[in-house]
Amino acid sequence: MLDALTGLGVLEYVWLAPLIPLLCFVIAGFFGNRTPQGGGYIAIFGALAAFVVALLASYEYVMSDAYSAGEAFVRDLEWLVFGDYALNFGVYIDSLSCIMMLFASFISLLIFIYSVGYMDGEGKKKRRYYAEVSLFLTGMLGLVVSSNYLQMFIFWEIMGLCSYLLIGFWGFDHPEGDEATENAASAAKKAFLVTRLGDVCLLAGLFILLHMFGTLDYEGMFMQAKIDAVVAANPVKFPVAMALVFGGAIGKSAQFPLHDWLPDAMAGPTTVSALIHAATMVKGGVFLVARSFPLFVQSADVMLFVAIIGGVTAVFTATMALNNMNIKRVLAYSTLSQLGYMVLSLGAGGYLVAMGMETGNAELIGLGVLGYSAGVFHMVNHAFFKALLFLGSGSVIHSTGTEDMRLMGGLGKKMKITSITMLLGSLSIAGFPFFSGFWSKDLVLETALAPASHGLGAEHWFTLLFALGMITAFMTAFYMFRMWFLTFAGKPRERAVLSHGESPKSMTMPLVILSIFAVGSGLAIFANFLCHAAQSLEVGMRWIMDAGRVGINEHVYDGIAVVKHMFGNVWTYVAIALTLVGMAIAHAVYAKRKFEPEAFRIENKGRLYKLVANRYYAPEIYNQISWKLGAGVAKAVDLTDRKVVDGAVNGIANAIIGAGDAVSMSQTGYVRNYAGVVVLGVVVLAVVFVLAFALTGGI
Amino acid sequence: MIPIELVLGFSAALFAVGLYGILTTRRGLVALMCVEIMLNAANINLVAFSAYSGDALGQAFAIFTIAIAAAEVAVGIALMLNAYKTKGTTDIDELTSMRW
Repeated sequence: MLDALTGLGVLEYVWLAPLIPLLCFVIAGFFGNRTPQGGGYIAIFGALAAFVVALLASYEYVMSDAYSAGEAFVRDLEWLVFGDYALNFGVYIDSLSCIMMLFASFISLLIFIYSVGYMDGEGKKKRRYYAEVSLFLTGMLGLVVSSNYLQMFIFWEIMGLCSYLLIGFWGFDHPEGDEATENAASAAKKAFLVTRLGDVCLLAGLFILLHMFGTLDYEGMFMQAKIDAVVAANPVKFPVAMALVFGGAIGKSAQFPLHDWLPDAMAGPTTVSALIHAATMVKGGVFLVARSFPLFVQSADVMLFVAIIGGVTAVFTATMALNNMNIKRVLAYSTLSQLGYMVLSLGAGGYLVAMGMETGNAELIGLGVLGYSAGVFHMVNHAFFKALLFLGSGSVIHSTGTEDMRLMGGLGKKMKITSITMLLGSLSIAGFPFFSGFWSKDLVLETALAPASHGLGAEHWFTLLFALGMITAFMTAFYMFRMWFLTFAGKPRERAVLSHGESPKSMTMPLVILSIFAVGSGLAIFANFLCHAAQSLEVGMRWIMDAGRVGINEHVYDGIAVVKHMFGNVWTYVAIALTLVGMAIAHAVYAKRKFEPEAFRIENKGRLYKLVANRYYAPEIYNQISWKLGAGVAKAVDLTDRKVVDGAVNGIANAIIGAGDAVSMSQTGYVRNYAGVVVLGVVVLAVVFVLAFALTGGI
Repeated sequence: MIPIELVLGFSAALFAVGLYGILTTRRGLVALMCVEIMLNAANINLVAFSAYSGDALGQAFAIFTIAIAAAEVAVGIALMLNAYKTKGTTDIDELTSMRW
């Protein structure tokens, strides 16, 4: 049976995975309203087909010789040739692509099914919704199977477009001014423009890479000889290019300082938030870093920068979740924080690999590869529990009609399935032992600590980052359970009383499935998930893997050994303790009401409270920068356009019109004038001829 | 035979009369007549040179010119007539609505 599957040759047709949702986008877009649910079933079919293709292709690839030999599956078509450069369009499948394809299509499938219940009342607008989410899935799947950076960038931008369209789903009007927190249109615009800032950086980085490498194909770039030559020839340009590429990831994955679009993106439907946070969009940035890992590790400085950005984002955004009263916003901040973990893990892992290469230390390379695998692992786990949490919050919002947790409470009795699945998701994200978030978060923290404990020259940075990670773990446990207790425990408040009970089956069924994964996906560590994730690095940087073989074998290739090592580390117990303390405090404050939360702030006017509630004034800073800098530049450009460019064009036209007017004045309309001029002309000619004859002496 | 200089001088005088008329009159019909005078001056030249060189071609030209002049007068008078109908005048200084 399984051999027959391998023989199907789906791998050759893996491009169907992004193509089928694209076709569903076209079909749902044109004919959605003629089908039931406004094209919902078409979108579900697309996601299901994409998932089946991804599953079969992944299975075939993992079973193939190429996988065990550490080679990618690559098929390219020549697309554009100009000068010395050739651009291709094709697929590049390694374990990273497989993992991304699988969870993106699977979670999208569940979200689409959930949408049938959640978006039921939207009428004709459903057509647009299902067409756009299908295109969104196309963007993500295309992104992960792309064979080169340019193709990836195209799908990257498709996702940017879809996020814009979907965040602004409720309307593109500005009825109440331009305040981004208040309306969907501004939130959509903000998401688009802020991520665009990152995209510009990425594009600039890609130009430099193309110039240095002469190609943007992964296969052509990830070769030791080539990378060594390029790095040696461009000691300055190379790190700059990589920092710019990381700038793209900062924008897409909403890292500090471009993090502020993500909370505002909550203006869209909750299913869209789930899609953006769990399956697509923000995972794109982390994927970019993971995909470019062989290039990133060439520069320890850039990797340190990546780790710092990740660590700072993790703690910085977690604080904002502490006092927010909007159930979706809390989840949005937690996404930012968890993304920070992933970036921190990749950054610290890359730093270890870079240092290991410099010193020839196999141990460090092994730990670095573990960091990479941990980052990917956390991305997968996060996808499951964050999709669960968002869909759960959508179920609550669907039932109560509000997003304000102050108006909820006591929903646990009315919505049993939602409350239990949400509890499982919260336990998972908080890192409660043996839930999925626990495994990957612990590995991330271990990776963050490793450079510090090995004395590599940036100990203070990594000690700090590790401490930030620990604090974040504590805060995560606190704010997640604060959210859970406020929503589901205690006495029902205003809107909870009006709640119309549990959501329909199409909504609870995905919740149950996702909760199974949110609890269990971490157990993949025992199925050597880390080893499978690291295979992607075998493909991309075989030379480093060979150099670090000893360390890698020890740290990555045996899941049970990794777990044993994890429980032999004292910090694991500290993290568990912090998690439990966070949960206990949340329970004491918000469930038992042992302390009144109001006691800690002075009529909402505490300086710290205000600072956090205003998101550290990041929206203000964005506005100031865009008003002072952006509007200034725009004004100068506008002036140049209107005065210089238009002035030149209009000036020439006016000069010609004026000259024409002046010359036309000679047409007096008096016949005698014309006759006089004719006579004068004849006389002049006659004189000239006579003179000419006289001077030359006749004919 | 009359010397050709005399004939050419007569022709030039006739042309000058027509030209003077055109340059000075404001009356449309007079201007047309002046044009006719100038055309006839040209005809006289053609006939004179024809007789002088013993070639009849010039006289044939003159007959053509007379025919064309007749047609031209018909058009010119029709124009003046219509101008008078619409504008109430044949003063050519008044008929300037087509300028600019």
